[in-house]
Amino acid sequence: MKLRIPKVVTIAAVAATILATTGCGGILGGNDTKTSDSGPIKIAAVIPLSGSSAPTGVYMKNGMQMAVDEINAKGGVLGRQLQFDAEDEACDPTQAAAAANKAVSNGAVISVGGYCSGATLPTLPIFSKANIPMIIPAANSQELVNQKLPNVFLINGTGTQQAAAAVKFMIKDGVKSVALVDDNTSYSKDIAAQTKKDLEADGGVKVALATSVTAGESDYSSVVHDIMGANPDMLYWTGYYQEGGLIINQLKAAGYKGKIMVADGSVDASLIEISGGTNADGVFATMTQTPDTIKGAETWIADYTKKFGSAPGPYSTQSYDAVRVAAEAITKAGSTDGTKVIAALEGIDGFQLFSGPLKFTPEHTLTNGGFQILVVKGGKFVLQDTLS
Amino acid sequence: MTQLIWNGLFVGSFYALIALGYSMVYGIIKLLNFAHGDIYMLGAFIGFATLSSFGVIPASMSITALLIVLLLTMIITGGIGVGIERLAYRPLRNSPRLAVLITAVGASFTLEYGVSAIAGPNPKVFPVRLQGETFDVLGARISAPQIVLMAIAILLMLGLNSYIQRTSMGRAMRAIALDSKGSLLMGINVNKVITWTFFIGSALAGAAGVMAGAYYGKIDFLMGFIIGLKAFTAAVIGGIGNIKGAMLGGLLLGLLEAFGSQWLGGEWRDVFTFAVLIAFLTLKPTGLLGERVTERV
Repeated sequence: MKLRIPKVVTIAAVAATILATTGCGGILGGNDTKTSDSGPIKIAAVIPLSGSSAPTGVYMKNGMQMAVDEINAKGGVLGRQLQFDAEDEACDPTQAAAAANKAVSNGAVISVGGYCSGATLPTLPIFSKANIPMIIPAANSQELVNQKLPNVFLINGTGTQQAAAAVKFMIKDGVKSVALVDDNTSYSKDIAAQTKKDLEADGGVKVALATSVTAGESDYSSVVHDIMGANPDMLYWTGYYQEGGLIINQLKAAGYKGKIMVADGSVDASLIEISGGTNADGVFATMTQTPDTIKGAETWIADYTKKFGSAPGPYSTQSYDAVRVAAEAITKAGSTDGTKVIAALEGIDGFQLFSGPLKFTPEHTLTNGGFQILVVKGGKFVLQDTLS
Repeated sequence: MTQLIWNGLFVGSFYALIALGYSMVYGIIKLLNFAHGDIYMLGAFIGFATLSSFGVIPASMSITALLIVLLLTMIITGGIGVGIERLAYRPLRNSPRLAVLITAVGASFTLEYGVSAIAGPNPKVFPVRLQGETFDVLGARISAPQIVLMAIAILLMLGLNSYIQRTSMGRAMRAIALDSKGSLLMGINVNKVITWTFFIGSALAGAAGVMAGAYYGKIDFLMGFIIGLKAFTAAVIGGIGNIKGAMLGGLLLGLLEAFGSQWLGGEWRDVFTFAVLIAFLTLKPTGLLGERVTERV
């Protein structure tokens, strides 16, 4: 036994040395690429490519790839080609931090990822420390903005803007009482809390119930029971589609007759599948623009479908735009230096996105949130109200 | 109120089915089989795979197809349970109990991430969904699928109970639970009995998995984790090692959860459940129906 202990120590020491040297190598390598002004410009995206949100992650990756290919075909940026690198975060904070570190050590100069807010949050300080600008296409919790980091830009409406859109529609639709249910994630709680605040300030719509559920379970009979007891005109579910589908299914089985609205994290074909049959028919959703609801996107949709063999899904346009904004900022800055690119992003005015001309607020969010209301009809999400 | 009781009993019958396997294995070889919840998950995935391979199933045939798949899955998960015992537990039977416990955790992760690697990490939508009428009973809404599933669960539990009480294999199981070495001396093939115990326990968990898939409609590779812990809690409440205790504990835990989350709010459900586990382990570790034993783990 006495002999074994030094052996273990030696192994540990050797392992630690190897780790330390490779770690150093990574950091040195990162610095090298950053100072070099030739070779491809590396764009990284930390997005969910596995796990519950993987379907959306794939749409995002495709949208980004499409923009990268288009820009490269036109000669790239500053005469250099773009190189796109998608890292999997599986909608998990730990994996997201690891993926962000990997992207930084790979020499990324700009980040265009971010879907699950809870997983995106821990990546902010990592990119910030490396002075890498982030253009977040999908994650939209107010928490991301509250960090007040100079390198973080959101080209998607925030939770606050989403809540405002939800409230606007509730009032417009004549809803008198609402049940708010979130899934305890940063993104979801943010929208629910903001909606509650807005409704209380307005006073026209009563909050009959505000509660949370634990994500990842199968049986939601207790929250269904609470909703039935509160008897609201509308349920607003602010979590993701997995639990959303189950709750819709179990609500319908319990005989719920009121309206249901879901937030953008639940806008996915899987919501309709999981809720079963026609249960999701008539479910509303607060959502930023999808390719299907944008006028004049027909050629873009056709190009996408041709390239990837399937129709574009949610957040593919925002992801496409994120890469274009990144390229625009680097061109304007005339360099890939983080500080110069951030200044260029702040200076952008009128750059045409799918959601309209881009200009960032001092908080680095969109001047116009661009949320609209979708409804499930015949097994698909279609546009109900543009709220304009 | 009646709705809460019904909801609790319905969820509780799932817990009870899984708790049975936990309790049986513990009763016989004093092992907390942490991979048991994942056998439930495996049952759901095997059911998914076999049902998908049938192609499109007409709605009128869905109950029949489901019963066939249920039986098939029970046999397969039972076999896998036996395999796990052979590979992971039997070689360690004379090792310290902690070693077997750690192996059980390892077996659990192997099953979870093995399924994730084979079937992909994304949740799957079950190809057959039980649908049916709903009835009003004393102010509670009860649906036909719920009744069918409850009936299957109760039948399985009653069948197991009479198997243990009436057959010679059941008698051998009870004998080993009391005194394993003594049973060996009396000529009982202990290994064979343990194999059977794992087979039956895993088959019941697999059945619960298929039933959950058909009822809730969504399955994913981590679905067995929490429910495994809850089945363990149910087994502790009823008195671990006691078959009737596992059934009682399951139903009771379902009721406790239903009333607890009504009282504290849905997000407190799991906190409440596991607080009950702690309370039982500290105040009455033998559970409701467990007997006082001289040897403690």
